[in-house]
Amino acid sequence: MSIKLEQLCKTYNVDTDFPVHAVNHLDLEIKQGEFVAVMGPSGSGKTTLLNMLGGIDTPTSGKVLIDDNNILELHDKQLIAFRRDNIGFIFQDYSLLPVLTALENVEFVMQLQGHSEEECRKRATDLLIRVGLAEHLHKRPAKLSGGQQQRVAVARALAPSPKFVMADEPTANLDAKSTAELLDIMQQLNEQEGTTFIFSTHDPRVISRAKRVIVFEDGLKKEDTIQAESP
Amino acid sequence: MLVKLAWRNLWRQKRRTILTASALALALILSLVMRCIQEGSYSANIENIARLSTGLIQLQHPEFKDSQSIDDLLSADPEFIDFARELSTVETILPRIESFALAASGDKSKGILVFGIDPLPEDIYSSLSKKVISGSYFSERQNKGDKPQVLIAEGLARQLGLQPGDELVLYGQGYRGQTAAGLFTIQGILHFPMPQLNNQLVYMSLQSAQYLYSTGDLVTSWVLHTDSLADVEQAASALKQYYQQGVNVRDWLDLSPDLAQQILMDRTSGLILMYLLYGIVGFGLFATLLMMTLERQREFAVMLATGLLRSKLLKLICIESAFIGLLGIIIGLLIAFPILIWLLFNPITLTGETAQLMLEMGYDPIIPVLLDPQLFINQIVVVLGLLVLCLIYPLLRLYKIDLVSALKGGAHAA
Repeated sequence: MSIKLEQLCKTYNVDTDFPVHAVNHLDLEIKQGEFVAVMGPSGSGKTTLLNMLGGIDTPTSGKVLIDDNNILELHDKQLIAFRRDNIGFIFQDYSLLPVLTALENVEFVMQLQGHSEEECRKRATDLLIRVGLAEHLHKRPAKLSGGQQQRVAVARALAPSPKFVMADEPTANLDAKSTAELLDIMQQLNEQEGTTFIFSTHDPRVISRAKRVIVFEDGLKKEDTIQAESP
Repeated sequence: MLVKLAWRNLWRQKRRTILTASALALALILSLVMRCIQEGSYSANIENIARLSTGLIQLQHPEFKDSQSIDDLLSADPEFIDFARELSTVETILPRIESFALAASGDKSKGILVFGIDPLPEDIYSSLSKKVISGSYFSERQNKGDKPQVLIAEGLARQLGLQPGDELVLYGQGYRGQTAAGLFTIQGILHFPMPQLNNQLVYMSLQSAQYLYSTGDLVTSWVLHTDSLADVEQAASALKQYYQQGVNVRDWLDLSPDLAQQILMDRTSGLILMYLLYGIVGFGLFATLLMMTLERQREFAVMLATGLLRSKLLKLICIESAFIGLLGIIIGLLIAFPILIWLLFNPITLTGETAQLMLEMGYDPIIPVLLDPQLFINQIVVVLGLLVLCLIYPLLRLYKIDLVSALKGGAHAA
């Protein structure tokens, strides 16, 4: 499964004298299993790009093809179902449901897919153990550190077995140790399960771990490089 | 999971949830107590008026309502009323003759209203004997030569200058044009607080009235009383179905239109007051529900992004709101019920002129409460209706939520 963008544009203030091109005629292909960092300064259009890749935002023009199917042609309900089954999201501020425990947060997205309670419990527990939260399953987000919350968010993103994970500046609020741990986990999951990770970031620690780095500026792709694997 | 999530979300803002539920509970308590007292006093009024004069249901000749004529009569045969006797909800059945006559004593005369009644059951039903202020109630046994007895109202006695033991001549038109004339002995004088009744009522036994008006074995009406007011409609309907066109079945609404109108007006003003109260509480509830929706836009956007359908998101808010409503209803009922039970056994006692008037009429000067399940159900329905009304706008905004703006935490996401 791959994501292909064709002449993708996102323009704000279209009907004014000063249109803003957040994404400008972008052609891009991301194949399954890639570990991609989209980097660029603030306001360069990284988040907008990720939102369009994940089917959250609608482009002004162009196509978002997933396995040659344009997701922009899906109805709202189909799009939500598509996102639920194929795309995981990790947000900068973790965005966990504060009233649910770590385990319940992860189970919740699986339950939306219609899995049985038993299946949800098993997979959520496994994932939380894999991200190193075996002892924090029943804690609510407020009782977890930022790094731990982001790990729950990673487990939640991976729970429905998505093909792609969109991570919008996932390490922005984390310290160096938590960032390193989180990146280890994501890299491991990428390698073991073949899940595609797409990050928007300007964190050099993330960029150094990425296998492919796309530099984005003023809505345009400036660079697209494959990085040599770290030793 | 949605139910669990909704329940826990409720307690994120404990104080707000409790305050909102309490406001609903307070409105429910006030409305429920007010309505139970209101309906209780209506029931008591209807019951009192019915026992004093009309009964809750009357069977009459189809023409009698308009003609009030002694020619439009019904059979007094027990077989005629057998069907009504078989109705389990009918507790009292009384035959009556009701007509007009001219009362004369010496050189004075006056138009009066004559009631021919069955003395013993009528006394059990309306406590007529308690209204006797001079003389006595009908004696059970009369000698053959004795003149028939009458009880006359105090005002009439005063106007005609009569006392117990005096004689009274009644003169009028009997059945099918016959002359109705008779000489009666005054057995007792009755007091009615209402001048209209106090100035013109004359009671005699049914047999005496049938003889006076030459009606034979006929009556002008059968007066029926049901176990409770709530049974009137069903009993009247069964009677109508049985007697069909041959008998006019009239319920208390038809028999006492003034009372019905007065109750309707009073009930309407009470309901307006109640809805006003709910309206004020409704604004508070609306603000809470709107806040509950707007302050969590980002959270909702994340849920939508991770695959929650919009319909389920709306369902979540509906469940949360329903919990607040139910909480308000439960708190309200838990507080209102003991208050109403207490009022049932310790009704509000009236004082002053109103109390005096009620005592004179033979009623207890109290405001009773009516514990009718329907009143409780109505209030619960009003609370739930209010909840639905307050939910429309927040749900609409939520339905239109823009995912991107909401993820950014934008103020105009929804």
